[in-house]
Amino acid sequence: MTGTLGSFLILAALLVATAGSMVGFAAGRSGTPEGLKWAQRFAYAFAALMALATIVMETALLSHDFSVKYVSQVGSRAVPAWVTIVSLWSSLEGSILFWGFILGLYIAGTTWVNRNQHVDYMPYAIGVWLGCAAFFSFLIAGPANPFGTVSPVPLDGPGPNALLQNHFLMIIHPPFLYLGYVGMTIPFGFASAALLRGRLGLGFLRPLRASLLLPWIFLTIAIMLGGWWAYEVLGWGGYWAWDPVENASLLPWLTATAALHSAIVMERRGVLKGWTVTLVQASFLLTILGTFMTRSGVFNSVHSFTQSSIGPTILVFLAVAILFSVITLGFRIESLEAEGKLETAVSREGTFLVNNLLFVLLTFTVLIGTVFPLIVEAVNGRQMSVGRPYFDAMVVPIGTALLFLLGVGPALPWGRPRSDEVKRALLFPLIGGVVLAAIGRALGVTNIWTLITLLFGGYAAWVTMSEMWMPLVQRMRRGDSFGTALVQGQLRRGRRRFGSYVVHAGAVVVIIAIAVSSTMRTSHEARLARGQSAKIGSYDVTFTGAETLAEPHRQSTVAHFRVMSKGKFVTNLSPRMNQYQTMREPIGTPDVHSTLTGDLYLSIMNVDVGTQNAGVLMITTPMVAWIWISVILMGLGGLVALISRP
Amino acid sequence: MNRTVLVIGILITAAIVALFAFSFGRDPQHINSPLVGRIAPRFALRAVGTGEIVDIESLRGKPVVLNFWATWCMPCHAEHPILQQASRALGSDVQFVGVVFGDTEENIQAFIRERGEAYPTLLDDKGKTSIAYGVGGVPETFFIDRNGKIVAKYEGPLSFEMLQTYVRKVLS
Amino acid sequence: MIALLLVLMLQTTKVPDAAQFVGAPQSTPLAGAQLDTRTVEIAGQLRCPVCQGLSVGDSPSAMAMNMKEQVRELLARGYTREQILAYFEQSYGEFVLLKPKFRGVDSLVWLLPLIALAIGGALVAMKMRKLERPVATAPHDAGDEYVNRVRQLVEKE
Repeated sequence: MTGTLGSFLILAALLVATAGSMVGFAAGRSGTPEGLKWAQRFAYAFAALMALATIVMETALLSHDFSVKYVSQVGSRAVPAWVTIVSLWSSLEGSILFWGFILGLYIAGTTWVNRNQHVDYMPYAIGVWLGCAAFFSFLIAGPANPFGTVSPVPLDGPGPNALLQNHFLMIIHPPFLYLGYVGMTIPFGFASAALLRGRLGLGFLRPLRASLLLPWIFLTIAIMLGGWWAYEVLGWGGYWAWDPVENASLLPWLTATAALHSAIVMERRGVLKGWTVTLVQASFLLTILGTFMTRSGVFNSVHSFTQSSIGPTILVFLAVAILFSVITLGFRIESLEAEGKLETAVSREGTFLVNNLLFVLLTFTVLIGTVFPLIVEAVNGRQMSVGRPYFDAMVVPIGTALLFLLGVGPALPWGRPRSDEVKRALLFPLIGGVVLAAIGRALGVTNIWTLITLLFGGYAAWVTMSEMWMPLVQRMRRGDSFGTALVQGQLRRGRRRFGSYVVHAGAVVVIIAIAVSSTMRTSHEARLARGQSAKIGSYDVTFTGAETLAEPHRQSTVAHFRVMSKGKFVTNLSPRMNQYQTMREPIGTPDVHSTLTGDLYLSIMNVDVGTQNAGVLMITTPMVAWIWISVILMGLGGLVALISRP
Repeated sequence: MNRTVLVIGILITAAIVALFAFSFGRDPQHINSPLVGRIAPRFALRAVGTGEIVDIESLRGKPVVLNFWATWCMPCHAEHPILQQASRALGSDVQFVGVVFGDTEENIQAFIRERGEAYPTLLDDKGKTSIAYGVGGVPETFFIDRNGKIVAKYEGPLSFEMLQTYVRKVLS
Repeated sequence: MIALLLVLMLQTTKVPDAAQFVGAPQSTPLAGAQLDTRTVEIAGQLRCPVCQGLSVGDSPSAMAMNMKEQVRELLARGYTREQILAYFEQSYGEFVLLKPKFRGVDSLVWLLPLIALAIGGALVAMKMRKLERPVATAPHDAGDEYVNRVRQLVEKE
């Protein structure tokens, strides 16, 4: 019964989305207020149907209704309630339903916020959004249907994938990722609307930018959460492996960041409209490519749990979406007329162009590296790999150039600066760079790339700080008190600017932290009997014993270690090996002691409870916690910029 | 109308679709072995149970079916009776050899006691032989002709029909 | 007694020697800290065949541990980096090398980003020059200020 209800809701959603999409396009052409009203109603109806379907599914999961196909696949009476709730997105079919739900929220929300504005664009935008919604509804109704009925009804299920149950980060990483990914559909709709309408007025910039910034914030944090999860859960002590699915999450982030920057030039000078629109469309298309890469089974990745029939369907949609974008761009890009000009290349505007060049180059490089083995196999029949050595070799120089630009760009004045102004702006921050590099050298950094990163990073930090607080300083010079200047200058009027510089500050710290944590890492393997110790860095790690623990859904072997440093007790760490009922090989969970200066990471290689012997991998990674902290700072900065008046 | 955008865009679409369409149906986990067509790497390992040394070079003159497995591998359990039966049937014409890696002698002994052994089971202690043979997982089976050349490699548990096909290949 | 020793000597296990694949060692044997660092470095260049894209250095699986041990042994015997990588390539195939070779079709993966940078740089330079020229705006009536103001407000959208 529940299964039938769910299927019915999805079919209804499919019909509503398809009809609504056509209504949207028609309303766009006719331009009548009636048409727009109807398009809006279809948008709300789609969202409501998707929400209901999701509620039906969650109810089925929580009530252990194993007559519903998806519940019989991932439900289980043995798992805790939070795992049941979260299993909505643990497996393919449920996660596409989740995608549809979030898409509905975004479409309804954006439609409602703009219900009385931008009436020339909204119908087209709704048309495009509901077109995408129709595709996803089709996926849920057809190849990825979670609502089938299972008969005879099983008494229990296998539970969601064991990796999900290992760590709390698995609860928040997928929702953030979906909020980021799915959200890219909204600016895509806006950009397409501008193209269909043949005009991108500067008054439309605000919704376009806001709709791009919101998913950007989610995606930034989601990527970090993915890396953090890999670090805490997978046992190899790293946070990024250039895995195809990791790359898939990064690609749209790169183009979206580029688009956010070129939109600033568009706002200031009225140029680069066509280019910004192209980047926005690319960001959406890359999310579809990304979901294809994750679900098609074509790529060898940590994420590819199943080879499914959903791949060809997504590929068809991807092709259709690319063609749609290409055709709208090809026919209409010239109608997006420039409304201004640039003064000169050596100005802040010029650096935005270089910024875009570098981000697009990064996107291209990561994409090429990811699909190259496929290309070679298709052309030549050979199997080869493109792994970390390639990506590191390519990405590190480009990333360093971007860090350089992060400093030099905001230092340059807008428009046509005088050459002495330019020199002064560019030379002062060098002090910050040299100081930071010197500190690094004194603390033992020898790697040349890391030293360069510290130099550029210190420079960028100086520039960012001075730009961030400049309005405050200016106001105080004019007589305002510190309090007034802070509230009026930064928090009331200058939120967007302030928020952007917070993001930049976070980015500088992230890049420095990545450089330091990858090049200053030490690792050591030790085989210890009970009571024996090993040394790593300034830590003394003593194996104090191993035991087995039985829980309803898994059996674990836990090894306890006492960590001392310079004679003082630091902490106890207990990495474990978990054997889940449903997986053949055990999954290890490392244990990490995190401090602001660095982490001590312990992972079990093998352990024998009988003889009380443990093989342990010990890793010290300096500054890695700063990566998580500063990405959250970037997200907060984005949030501040988002809730700003124009 | 911007012709450049249209042309480049359509080319990109076509390339992407063609590439991914081709890649369907391909198992990303499967690796082609470079050893097929080459002489089997030489090794000599101790048989579990009897303790005798089995040297692959000394087996030349007769085709060899070299099966890599382990006691903790479920598909290997399924494959085991098929290999046993084939070995008993073909014993005089084809030499079957099993190599176990990533395992302990006690586990193997227990397995043999329970399920029998129709041909030598060798222990590859540090996995060096498996590395030389490019073994990525278990079970994997190499079919070697009477001159010591690897004719084929099969990944995964062998069914009776597959085994027949490959043995025929190696006998001809 | 001697006969027993002889028999024992003859009956030793022999694991496949790298010499079968890559010949004799071409460098001096390593030891100590240098051996450790080089092992980690070369293990990072090899792909773990049973994992999803992890290097042998990073992977916690038993297979990767064995391969790492093999790398260490070969380094201790004096094999060079190229020989060790060639050894694994001959048994596992090209697939096991994480760094694509700069040879034939594979060199494209290294060259394409450079070509993209060159083309992109040229395009950016061209665009900057184009943008520096004043834009030919549509003719507005210089005369009617009211119409102009309205047009300005309306065309913001």
